[in-house]
Amino acid sequence: MRSNRIKFVVLICSVFLIVSVFSSFGVIKASENEYPEDVVKDYPEGTVEIYGYGQPQYLLEYYNDWLERNRDIAPNVSIEITQTEGAADTREKITMNSVAGDYESLPDLFYSDPVNLLALAEGDLVQKVTNFVRPLEDKMVDGALNQATIDGTVYGMPASVRPQLIFYNKSILDKYNIDPARMDTMQGYIDVGRELKEKSDGEVYLSYIDPGHYTWRYYGRRGLMPQAEAKIWDDEGNPVIGTDPGAKLAFNTLDTMYSEGLLYKTEIFKPGLYDATNAGKIATFYIGAFWDEFLRKNCQETAGDWRVRPAPVFEDINLRGAPVTNYWAIANKPNGEYDGLVKKLWYDFNFDKEPREVWVKSMVEQNAPYANPISLEMLKDEFWKKPSPFYGGQSFRKMEGEGLVNGAPNLRITPQSAEADVIISAQLERYVAGDQTIDEAIEAMQKNLEDKIGQAESF
Amino acid sequence: MKLINIIRRNKHPYIFILPFFILFLVFKLYPLLWTIRISFTEWNGMNEPISVGFQNYKDLFNDYMFWDAVYNTIIYWLVGGFFIIAIAMLLSLLLNYKKLKGLKFFKVVTFLPNISAAIAMGLIFGMLFDQNLGIINELLEIFGINRINWLTSTKFSKIPVLTLYIWRFVPWFALVILSGLLKIPIEYYEAAKIDGANKIQQFIKITLPNISRILFFCFIIVTVNSWKMFNESYILKGPGTSNISLFQYLYQSAFTTFKMGYASAIGVVLIIILAIASAIQFIIRKRNAEI
Repeated sequence: MRSNRIKFVVLICSVFLIVSVFSSFGVIKASENEYPEDVVKDYPEGTVEIYGYGQPQYLLEYYNDWLERNRDIAPNVSIEITQTEGAADTREKITMNSVAGDYESLPDLFYSDPVNLLALAEGDLVQKVTNFVRPLEDKMVDGALNQATIDGTVYGMPASVRPQLIFYNKSILDKYNIDPARMDTMQGYIDVGRELKEKSDGEVYLSYIDPGHYTWRYYGRRGLMPQAEAKIWDDEGNPVIGTDPGAKLAFNTLDTMYSEGLLYKTEIFKPGLYDATNAGKIATFYIGAFWDEFLRKNCQETAGDWRVRPAPVFEDINLRGAPVTNYWAIANKPNGEYDGLVKKLWYDFNFDKEPREVWVKSMVEQNAPYANPISLEMLKDEFWKKPSPFYGGQSFRKMEGEGLVNGAPNLRITPQSAEADVIISAQLERYVAGDQTIDEAIEAMQKNLEDKIGQAESF
Repeated sequence: MKLINIIRRNKHPYIFILPFFILFLVFKLYPLLWTIRISFTEWNGMNEPISVGFQNYKDLFNDYMFWDAVYNTIIYWLVGGFFIIAIAMLLSLLLNYKKLKGLKFFKVVTFLPNISAAIAMGLIFGMLFDQNLGIINELLEIFGINRINWLTSTKFSKIPVLTLYIWRFVPWFALVILSGLLKIPIEYYEAAKIDGANKIQQFIKITLPNISRILFFCFIIVTVNSWKMFNESYILKGPGTSNISLFQYLYQSAFTTFKMGYASAIGVVLIIILAIASAIQFIIRKRNAEI
């Protein structure tokens, strides 16, 4: 009996000892970081070139810290970011380098939106990453790979999947005794705008409207159109924006808000909007999660006033905003010697919990941009539910996660999407300028899509 | 054979100008011929160009955006050109006024806008013309005039572009005209004065005829500049295509919608317009026995 007990204790101790020894040598730790491909190897001296847009300098902070943690495999590697104007500018640079045969100047990694990513993929300028990201799909938020996939082949590694949220100034709503829960539906949202206008004698606006192409991008492509299940093209690729009931609903909703004077006309990302916001003239921002960095960076005078909730729905359709996915992609360089390294960078950025949290804390301190991770495991961590002082104790990160629930599918992407955006936006801009009614704008969109594009192709 | 003989006889001068011709062939002529070739294709910059004959040119003539861009560019050319040359003329007359104190200082200050970065100036002009915060509207309000949607209305959006364009280019043309004014012998004016001519008569009868060639040169340069305008309208973008320039539309077609063939067709149209402007200059100068 006693010898059995001794045997049992020895067995337990042995198991404990083995586990401890293996843990200290990193075997168990390594199993947590199982990369789908062999990316842990020695990398030659040199510079990893990244094309980024937005405010990529803040990501460089993460990259440099990450490099220091990976000196065992990349002892003499540095990372350099080239700032581009946007995804189209990145595409232009990559295309021109490729046309000129200057493959050495291609970046190792670039950020992209789905439209330009898929176009570059069609031109064989992007590496396929199917084998690397597919095994991780279950660990990511829903639909993270959808917009980077052509016929089952994946071309981009998702960097963020951000929901559409509504940001509202609680102090303003409290002042006029308005319950924010009313903004759960689009009709409720408009009614809140009307009430604000009436009670404030026209001093407070429901939101803003940009006279340029951002109105189509945010109110249209990413906002009202997907929520209204609108279509630009039918299944055969014929333009239907002029007849589609969803498109009509989306544009008429915008028209109601604009024609009733509920939207303050000013350029987005410009001092006019910062000043109006700080002066308490704008009650809500719809649509996009990026308003978080906009408000924190430019409207600190209103810190503590803002709250966030999921985008309002059209009652009969009941879909929140379509999530916005951004990708990291690897350029198809003939001797891409850092392909594995940038894959590891992406993996660690999205699945290595602690460094990501350290970086996010730094971003919060600097009022700099960051997004929720795409890793489901990471999102379970309490860190991503912590209250945010800027939002009066509400957790912005938690809301960012909740905002993805019941998101609308994005508008269909075609090789002609960039051109369609220019055509549609031009008419919407003329509408905002007061040159035509919304019905005339929709009619002109349809006609110009027919005349200039005809039938859209498929990726 | 005849050409080879000429080259052989004058080989040293030809060797001296050879570097220019090599650069011209590589960086000007070849891209130009390539542009013409691409204009007959459908190409997104990545896949193989597909030949489409004259389709891009046919599409151009049915494209309202193209015609808007042409119309805007004509406005920039005519209005901008007129004001640039007129204001440059006035400025150069002032700078040629010998009794003006601090002449060197004024000459330097006058030239400053031309050396300022176009994009930076565009951003500043954007702030000046801002509907809500811009100083222009603040000034208008002082005089009891309502705020104007300079950059957000299709009616007014060309005005900020023209203002920036004129502001940037007046100094350069003022210096060119000033160089012409300095060459007019002072005796002409002294003789005219003795004959009783007043300042306006002196200007019309002496100054203008003596700088007519320079003014013509300015007109040609302003024509070329106007048709190549990009920065001003790109930075101070108005609603839709209300103030887009032809060159900007070319860029947009190439690098926003990635229709390289279509953009090349616009480029060829631009080349034709500029070639006509140059040909007119050449013919007139030849007629005046200047060349």
